[in-house]
Amino acid sequence: MKDPKLVRGLGRLYAALLYAYPREFRLQYGTEMQQLFRDRCREIARDGRAGPWLRFGLGSIADWIASALRERRPFKLIQEWAVTLLLFLFVTTTMVQAYVVPTGSMENNILVGDHLLVDKVGFENGGNNWSSYVLPHRQVKRGDIVAFRYPEDVRQTFVKRVIGVAGDHIHLKDKQVIRNGDKLDEPYARHSGQSIDDYRDNFPTAADFYTLGGGRDMFAHNVHDGEVIVPPGTLFVLGDNRDNSLDSRYWGFVPINYVVGKPLVIYWSYDAPTSDLVTWNLAHLEDVALHFFTRTRWNRMLKVPAQ
Amino acid sequence: MKKTPGLLPLTPPVFHILLALADEERHGYGIMQDVARQTNDALQLGPGTLYGCLKRMLAAGLVEESDEREHDREQDDERRRYYRMTPLGRSTVRAEAGRLAGAVSAAKAKLGLAGGK
Repeated sequence: MKDPKLVRGLGRLYAALLYAYPREFRLQYGTEMQQLFRDRCREIARDGRAGPWLRFGLGSIADWIASALRERRPFKLIQEWAVTLLLFLFVTTTMVQAYVVPTGSMENNILVGDHLLVDKVGFENGGNNWSSYVLPHRQVKRGDIVAFRYPEDVRQTFVKRVIGVAGDHIHLKDKQVIRNGDKLDEPYARHSGQSIDDYRDNFPTAADFYTLGGGRDMFAHNVHDGEVIVPPGTLFVLGDNRDNSLDSRYWGFVPINYVVGKPLVIYWSYDAPTSDLVTWNLAHLEDVALHFFTRTRWNRMLKVPAQ
Repeated sequence: MKKTPGLLPLTPPVFHILLALADEERHGYGIMQDVARQTNDALQLGPGTLYGCLKRMLAAGLVEESDEREHDREQDDERRRYYRMTPLGRSTVRAEAGRLAGAVSAAKAKLGLAGGK
């Protein structure tokens, strides 16, 4: 006699739940536990009312959690997870790290709310880089998108594009970047309008109200004949969203050892306001729980930021 | 009667599982049904609890595995493992029942409940 679909489905679900138990226990009693579970399902299916199903469901979950915990002594649990945990710690501290992008300075390439995995070993000087002895790596070059510690506040991680490396002469003329005398072709750059802001679009002019500490240093020491000259050991970076980007024009150069790595892949993209992404709060958690499926930008999942 | 100091008191699931096996060998589902009957559905053993208890009871020598055989009722395509109580199990459940009876009569005396006679 064939079981109803529901009973078979629940049976499969229960078979999966058995993986919470230690292997030994599962091998010894798994089959019998499934039989028992199926028998109960059949019994309740014959009864046909909803109440017993509810009671059975809750009871089964409670039984599952309590007995799985009981069979897995905490010590065993730690033992089994230790390797995974160590690997996880190793990988996240030295190889890749997850970041969320809180501002739109790289739009449309990287959006607000994109959650990125950053490759921490691909660049020389990318963080604490003993791995460069073992793994392939290269120097940061012009045009790379990099994640780095924001020099004005190292707790924040920024993502921008490298425009100049040590020794480069850079200036902007009517939004056009000119590096060492050549006009750059920048298909990735985006401008929000035609209006010209002298500070922003004819950089470098002179330090003004918006210029931050590092930017003032830059104007004082690194501007010659209307061009910024990138000092050794640093990078000059700009956001792709050129007219709305707080970048090297405002706060100066990025020391090369502030570079964390290269954005590797967008693993999750969620439409949320900047403030929620910077400081984690309960309302944001609730928002994610409620709108996970509708406000996740599925088309951006696993996208690699265009270089 | 054999002394079974380390095992008493028994947890309610273990006690009722032993009672379920007192009159006959049963498989897991049979034990579960009998326990529910004994307790008026108050104790509905889930698979995890039941087999966790059986595992420890086997280790303590309170029960033993009988043979595997076809289940006799409708719908039984499967072979099932049967469990039976050992002499140690029997003496343990007796000792526990005695202990509980003692506790109940003490409670009755203290609380002035009639019914002991």
